[in-house]
Amino acid sequence: MHIPDGFLSPQTYLPAYAVAAAAWWWAAKGLRERLDETTVPRLAMLTALAYALGLVMVPLPGGTSGHALGVALLALVFGLRLAFLGYSGVLLLQSLLFGAGGVTALAVNALAMGLVGAAAAIAAKKLLGRLGDTFAVAVAAWLSVVLPGAVVAVVLGVQPLIAHQPDGTPLFFPFDLAVTLPAVLLPHAVIGIGEALLTVAVWRYAKSRRWT
Amino acid sequence: MTAAQGRHGRTWLFAYLATLVAATFIHSPAALAALLALALSAAGAARWRLLRRTLWAVLAFNLTISAGYALVALWQGGFSAGYLLLVNLRVVLMVFLGFWFVSRFDLPTLLSGWPTATLVFTLALGQIRSLERVVADFRLAFASRSAVPPRLADRARHAGAQGIALLDKSMAAATESTLAMRSRGAFDD
Repeated sequence: MHIPDGFLSPQTYLPAYAVAAAAWWWAAKGLRERLDETTVPRLAMLTALAYALGLVMVPLPGGTSGHALGVALLALVFGLRLAFLGYSGVLLLQSLLFGAGGVTALAVNALAMGLVGAAAAIAAKKLLGRLGDTFAVAVAAWLSVVLPGAVVAVVLGVQPLIAHQPDGTPLFFPFDLAVTLPAVLLPHAVIGIGEALLTVAVWRYAKSRRWT
Repeated sequence: MTAAQGRHGRTWLFAYLATLVAATFIHSPAALAALLALALSAAGAARWRLLRRTLWAVLAFNLTISAGYALVALWQGGFSAGYLLLVNLRVVLMVFLGFWFVSRFDLPTLLSGWPTATLVFTLALGQIRSLERVVADFRLAFASRSAVPPRLADRARHAGAQGIALLDKSMAAATESTLAMRSRGAFDD
């Protein structure tokens, strides 16, 4: 789902950085207020955990698999702010060390996956909690994959409208919303099912260990 | 690591970020090719290793997008080879610059002006190596125990077990790091 460098126009990523900067400030502000000897190692481990969860292959019907996002799990166990900061950290590391995602696309990727994904998971868990813990966590995990997918699809899909040559040739991402929305959302709706299975399994364990 | 090294690294960090932004304002394939050639020549002996790494990193995404664009544009009309050249050169240049930059400066050095960020990233990078081994061990163990192709439920259980092991290890490592840092006086100031 990561958007790489070179496919987003400056008209997109520069405003996204302004929004992300405000969001990072908000998330870190809460952290600074309670910055103690447990917070710093915890944030570091959370960043590493977010990275490692991305290495876990979630099974999909038909024998295939996709990478887990893990953002719902992080959000449900550690809360929105820590999940957003940890996920942003891992996106930065992934882009610099492995070329996965990108530095210019970091703000959009972090806002989509780290903030929208985490916020969707927490909201779904709260709203659906009375229908049963397992159901609420499963829907939360599914939404934490599908909603960021929708954000990424919209951001990519508007690139031909935002930045193009006078003759209409695109300058950045070439496909419009009619292509990006189904191309991103359909696979992620399936990946979300695998993510839900993974998140429910780990969530139950986390609860049994009283980490939540 | 000295303060001067940190300042030197940050100067290059800002130069790298400025070049990235500039690359997205350039829409001439020839200019991007010239910049890429300049970066390759400046990268020294590491250039081919970095270029190979760059190409592997961008291959899947760029090939998919380029092939998709070519198919759709040839079908609907309006195919532009210039666009394919532009977008692929831009992506290769930007990713190459990132790999080149990281090969010359390590992240903790660049973050030396921000002690908390340095601490978080140093701890995280060390822990990432450890968690990568956990995932690799799980994969090998699962493969060695699967005489026949595993069912969906088996693979789901395997993914869940990996997630639990990673969470467990992370929580334990956070506690260990806290104790180790406390014993060394990291929180005394």
